[in-house]
Amino acid sequence: MRPRQSLTELFAAFLEFDHDRCQNWAMDPRLRRNMERCLAQTADQPDTFWALHWHKVWQADTSNELRTRLAREHLTAYVQEPCYWVAHKTASSFSSHQYSLADLFQMAIAQIDKVLRGFNNQQGFNFKNYASVTLHNLVRESLRQRQEVDICSDWALLRKLSQKRLVEALQTVGLAAETIASYVLAWSCFKALYVPQQATQSQRLSKPEPETWEAIAQLYNQERLNQSGLAAATTQHLEKWLAVCAKSARAYLYPSLLSINTPKPGQDSGEFIDDLAETSQTTSLLGDLIEAEEVAQRQAQQQQIGTVLLEAIAQLDAESQQLIQCYYRDGLTQQQMAERTGMKQYTVSRRLTKARETLLKRLAQWSQAELHKTPTSDVLNAMSAVLEEWLKTHYHHPDLVVDQPVTR
Amino acid sequence: MTSHSTLFDPTQLCLTIDAASQTQAWQQSRSFATPNSQWNAYLNQLCLQTLLPYLREEVPSAHPVPNLPLFWEFVNGAAVAWADRRIVLIPTETIDLDEIRIPQEWVDIPNWVADYYLAVQVNPDQAWVRVAGFVTHAQLKQQAQLDRIDRSYCLEGEALLPDLSALWLSQQFASEMTRAEVATPTALTAPEATNLIQRLGNPTLVMPRLALPFDRWAALISHGGWRQRLAEQRRGLPEQHSPLQWLQSGISALATQWSRVEYQAGFAASRSTEAPESPTAFSRQLTIANQRYELQVLQLDAATNVWRFELSSLAPTGMVATGVTLRLLTEDLQPFAGNEDRAMQPVDRLYVDVALEAGEGLVWEVEPTPEAYDREILRF
Repeated sequence: MRPRQSLTELFAAFLEFDHDRCQNWAMDPRLRRNMERCLAQTADQPDTFWALHWHKVWQADTSNELRTRLAREHLTAYVQEPCYWVAHKTASSFSSHQYSLADLFQMAIAQIDKVLRGFNNQQGFNFKNYASVTLHNLVRESLRQRQEVDICSDWALLRKLSQKRLVEALQTVGLAAETIASYVLAWSCFKALYVPQQATQSQRLSKPEPETWEAIAQLYNQERLNQSGLAAATTQHLEKWLAVCAKSARAYLYPSLLSINTPKPGQDSGEFIDDLAETSQTTSLLGDLIEAEEVAQRQAQQQQIGTVLLEAIAQLDAESQQLIQCYYRDGLTQQQMAERTGMKQYTVSRRLTKARETLLKRLAQWSQAELHKTPTSDVLNAMSAVLEEWLKTHYHHPDLVVDQPVTR
Repeated sequence: MTSHSTLFDPTQLCLTIDAASQTQAWQQSRSFATPNSQWNAYLNQLCLQTLLPYLREEVPSAHPVPNLPLFWEFVNGAAVAWADRRIVLIPTETIDLDEIRIPQEWVDIPNWVADYYLAVQVNPDQAWVRVAGFVTHAQLKQQAQLDRIDRSYCLEGEALLPDLSALWLSQQFASEMTRAEVATPTALTAPEATNLIQRLGNPTLVMPRLALPFDRWAALISHGGWRQRLAEQRRGLPEQHSPLQWLQSGISALATQWSRVEYQAGFAASRSTEAPESPTAFSRQLTIANQRYELQVLQLDAATNVWRFELSSLAPTGMVATGVTLRLLTEDLQPFAGNEDRAMQPVDRLYVDVALEAGEGLVWEVEPTPEAYDREILRF
């Protein structure tokens, strides 16, 4: 497969899979027209400029749903290669044949909103690198969750769901709000009364015994009086409701891996295009002025951060430097690092964390002195994400192979 | 570490649960009142004992708050304290981290409030715990929604700050107010508390924390002595803190801080006109401003039920330092005439004598507050 050439392609084309091979770049006509329109109004800028631009549009204008959605779709097109490489690397490093490359690619794409919410366009360096780093973690986390869901019986799964996810699962199957309220109360009563009776069998709970159902029903009928509008229920109702909860949750945890997040070509109507023309004009004209100035400032700041961090790394002891290199340059896991250095994994993890903390502290001191930014916990946390991106980029971490063209 | 370790975000703290301590945690949890509180105690104990060594690497003086396991009879969460700081560990068994639910008690009861809340996934089957992230009390009050049905603050998983380095560094920089203001619950009288303990002490009541308005529950449970009594009641245990019974049948199993001693009357004789009837006293050790002290309780007169509380230094030739105050309060924390003795200059001991109604409860306190102090009701 050929690499994408033009800016229009970068922000408007999507990978198409045929079985497990990527087949083609498919251009979304709506995104293409929008991109072309914007490019015509703007002086030459690199793709990094446009990524930042769309992220700002996505973030700035929550009142304009259309524009937000469009910006999101441009950025989804932009991160096709990172998603592909995350999928590729994950497929090769986990000997799981359960998920195809296309499945894993969808799993990555499905995380786009988390990437958008996580990227800090004030401090972050490069959207694509950030997306790469984050998607690797998010896809690993989805896989971990899926593995655990696989192991769990339905009754165990019910105990291992957050209420938020249960409610979303029940909403997804189309239940009404009052029904959901009853189910959630039934589920709370189930969790309070049906607990594992062995220290390490929480994933393999079998169906509760009739006495337990009786107790759940009794508790439900007592507790429902504290909320308005909840109907009385028998044990049969409760068994049925909880079965629905488990089934919906499992289905929700395994969303069908169809391209839910990629825009479908050919959807645009005439009306839609008119809206689009109007909104995109105002964005790019206003945007240019602000962003050109910002780009210069941002570059200067990023260089300073680089200098500060290089100095800080040089001051670390030899062992810490070596750990950082193993981790960020060689892309070793902490387990592999333990094998290589002969230390325990916990020790590796602690020393690596401490080395990284030293760098974070240096960065915080610099930003306090130069940018007058108080290092509160949330500022430090945002800085930590910037540091992670910088380290992976600086050391060319193997996860960041995003500039290679996608091949078959 | 299991094969799953490759699936974790490497910047997050993930620790293996030690097999021996897992077995021990399971056994200890069996003494709790209901299957629900047994499981809650088990998860909290796993979480605490796995994370405590890590926390102590950062802060060597970090320790679980006194009588922590009692909290698990009612509520999820394990508080660890050092100096004037506190962390509450919130274990969760959920596979997903879409939201984290923090019981309202840890957020809205003034003496339960912590600086930081750590969301911790606990997987007993695969023997790991993972710190998903943290928030400060102030952030929690601002960002989380209070669910009034299960009385917990619900925080979006994405609002957690994943990097614990941010916690330790913000401590070093002392850069923020971690705690928001919270209101003190309306105080309960002793009879009200007794009634509530009677009602909520029934272990067939599955969710005692939801069985009365939060303000009343908070007032009950924020008092260490009432919390203790309620937990004992739910476990079907008789009164554990009655020195009169200790005299007859020995110190009860749950009053482990107390021991039986021979009362040394030497110094006191010069100040006191009454000699104790029985030479038996009950004693517990206290650390006050880094000095070791001993608090003794002894019966002066059985017929009139007069008891003495006496505080002395355990240092050889030690004196009670200037400013130290021994104070007795009624069960519902009201002062009464002659309830305290203060060292205006270094003295050999402080004491308060008090005549009690049968069955009356007393709370002792000392200023400055001793280390690991938890209010305790002694019943006479």
